[in-house]
Amino acid sequence: MSRTPGLLAATGIDKRFGANSVLRNVSLALAPGEVHTLMGENGAGKSTLFRILAGIHQPDAGQINLDGATLDLRNPSAAYGHGIYLVPQEPALLKELSVAENMFLGMLPTRGRFPSRIDWKTIRGQAQDSLSALGLDVDVRDDAKHLSIAQQQLVECAKALLRGCRIILFDEPTSPLTGREVGILFSIMRRLRGQGCTLGFISHRMDEVSEISDRVSVLRDGAVTDEVGRDGFDRARLVRAMVGREVIFDRRRVRREAEGEPVLSVRGLAHAPVFSGVDFDVRPGEILGFSGLIGSGRTEIAEAVCGLRAKSAGSVTLAGQDISASSIGDIIEAGLVYVPEDRARHGVILPMSIRDNATAGQIGRLQRKGGILNRGREVAIATDTMRRYQVRARGIDQPVGQLSGGNQQKVVFGKWMSTNPKVAILDEPTRGVDVGAKDEIYRLIEELSAQGMAIVVISSELEELIVLCDRVIAIYGGKIAAELKGADVTAARVGAAFLGVEAH
Amino acid sequence: MRYLFPSQPWDRALVAILVALFSGFCILTPGFYNGFHGTLAITEEFLPFGFVALGLSVVILTGGIDLSVGSISGLAAVIMAILIKSYGLNTWLAVLVAVGAGGGLGWLNGQIITRLRVEPLIATLSTNFIYSSIAIALAGASPPYGFGHAFGELGTGAIAGWVPVQLVIFIVLAIGFSVLITRTGYGRRLVMIGYNRDAAHYAGVSVASVERRAYCISGVMAAFAGIVLASYYDAVRADMGDILLLTSITMVVLGGISIFGGEGGILGVTLAVMILGVLRQGMLIAGFSDMVTTMLIGAILLSSIAIKNLFSSRGFDFGSIIRRLSFLRPPERMTSRS
Repeated sequence: MSRTPGLLAATGIDKRFGANSVLRNVSLALAPGEVHTLMGENGAGKSTLFRILAGIHQPDAGQINLDGATLDLRNPSAAYGHGIYLVPQEPALLKELSVAENMFLGMLPTRGRFPSRIDWKTIRGQAQDSLSALGLDVDVRDDAKHLSIAQQQLVECAKALLRGCRIILFDEPTSPLTGREVGILFSIMRRLRGQGCTLGFISHRMDEVSEISDRVSVLRDGAVTDEVGRDGFDRARLVRAMVGREVIFDRRRVRREAEGEPVLSVRGLAHAPVFSGVDFDVRPGEILGFSGLIGSGRTEIAEAVCGLRAKSAGSVTLAGQDISASSIGDIIEAGLVYVPEDRARHGVILPMSIRDNATAGQIGRLQRKGGILNRGREVAIATDTMRRYQVRARGIDQPVGQLSGGNQQKVVFGKWMSTNPKVAILDEPTRGVDVGAKDEIYRLIEELSAQGMAIVVISSELEELIVLCDRVIAIYGGKIAAELKGADVTAARVGAAFLGVEAH
Repeated sequence: MRYLFPSQPWDRALVAILVALFSGFCILTPGFYNGFHGTLAITEEFLPFGFVALGLSVVILTGGIDLSVGSISGLAAVIMAILIKSYGLNTWLAVLVAVGAGGGLGWLNGQIITRLRVEPLIATLSTNFIYSSIAIALAGASPPYGFGHAFGELGTGAIAGWVPVQLVIFIVLAIGFSVLITRTGYGRRLVMIGYNRDAAHYAGVSVASVERRAYCISGVMAAFAGIVLASYYDAVRADMGDILLLTSITMVVLGGISIFGGEGGILGVTLAVMILGVLRQGMLIAGFSDMVTTMLIGAILLSSIAIKNLFSSRGFDFGSIIRRLSFLRPPERMTSRS
């Protein structure tokens, strides 16, 4: 059981998805008994690399060796066979099955000859033992749906150990966890390392990386740009390797106290148990930040405000007009838009053209008599969107699915902003776009705010909130945990607030 | 015109198939080619399928399905016949009421699907049984026949003696549906829903209302097809519409409208209507039984969906097709190794 695995080495890995080159000639070596961290921006190729090592994706070129022997990882079970296990970003437990069943899925021990029976006693015993060994105190007969994300991750670890896997890869495990849960996860990772396991880890939180890693590799745009051992850690150097240039997160405009009547007022918004007692105002020209962990209820609150999701109580007033019961179409007409976080699922329709997407939020306005669309106006809106937001594309008839992530995001922006809203709620506006596009998007947000639009930015990136926002509201457990303005909007205060550390 | 009927590689392939099929029957089947006017007259035999296919296209574009079109046709025709025969209603008024009833039945489908959240497949399968039972009950043992000469013109009449009335109506409707889908706000919403229902919702589209109207349109077109059949036979039967479903769905799917929604247009459907119509008539004239034709159409439906799925990246990519078809290749390596 406690045999130390050999050196897992990937050499010259290439991977393309359609027209997108995700990994280019990437080499990575996971030495036995170390925690090796992959850093990189969103879309740098970290998850893809781990998925290749775990047999989920096949590389287009390159090879993978374990202790010198070439591996053929054509599917995840082949990877298990060589002792490699990936704990996915979203733990993939079957919610309706018990914890024990989940752990033994695909390898349920049986007893007796045909017809054999499942050996529940062994299953429960072994499952309970391996969870206790990790210090996780849950009843293995309980349904997996009752576990928190942190507990599910630990169950995944136990699954790996049960399968005899000694190389465990964690794909960004900490992003949905609270600070305390991260601590627990790290203590277990240290224990596993102490037992001789090799651990892969993905994160882009600098503190975590320097706390747990023995070695860090940095990926940028599908290529390894730097690799440093424990002694060589230097934040500035890692950030430079990640983004390709010096980045100084600096205020670019004076944080101001917006005056005047609120254009959007939310009072007593609730939908138990997701969120409750939510009150806030936004004023014209103000950029309000909404910070909070994934699962804190911030997206749900925004969707309820915009009529996209049910609410059980509360009122929403936009420019003096009560829109609590209006349809989404009417709310957009009244001047409130929600720019969703998940671009491909909610933001754009990938097979449709830039023209169709850019005008999708205002079809009603483009109809002439008999419901015929005004083609001239459509073209004008699409052309204007491409010009204003500098969308790089062949023309307005190109399908949005053929554009890069950053350019898709600009089309999403154009789609909503061309409806001339009074208030825009932007959910993670820079997720999955590269640094250059990020900068452009910040500039656009500031420009729109300068023109008098009220903007709410939902973000889990501290820097983003600090760079952009005049005021920050922290959401924790579905409630407003803190409101920070002026000089209080600092990394320390905002970070503490959304981790639920700081009370009112 | 190019904007109304955007021409895709799929459509061009359909044109080729139509030409090949038509010439094939002309050469191989004596009695198939009966002069230009005779050829036009053949369309009367299959255009009722085309009317259903137009309405069904709208539903399938949303990613839904309507299996109740056959029973709506039958029920609408029975309603019309009873109104004329038993209540002495003016023929054209009765036609109007029957088409309206078709719309109502489709609307009911839409309500069941959007409000009770029943899968379109199950919802319309169920209402298909309900509607056809009602039609049988209403029609009784001896269904009415004989609706007068003027009404018969709808199904069998010809303008200037050689352009079938049905064909004129079909062409007008096909252009109308193409305008609806490509140029109106409703059509744009329809396509958005078909491609990505969530994104349409986030963009402020009232998804349920668009869907309800789609099923309503499908009901209207099915009812109209039933009326045309009644006119053609100068009689009604409760089960008259039963043959419509398979061929109409095949026309839509072969026409290039994705069974998953969003993709496709009316030009393709129109071509597929002609292809399957020529096939049905040609097979009949060549002396094959209806069973053979039905089997063939079932196979065409299956293969057009399968081919679409093979092209699943929503575009032509022969490399991927060859890779997917590689299981058909003989096991060369095995022999060379031994």
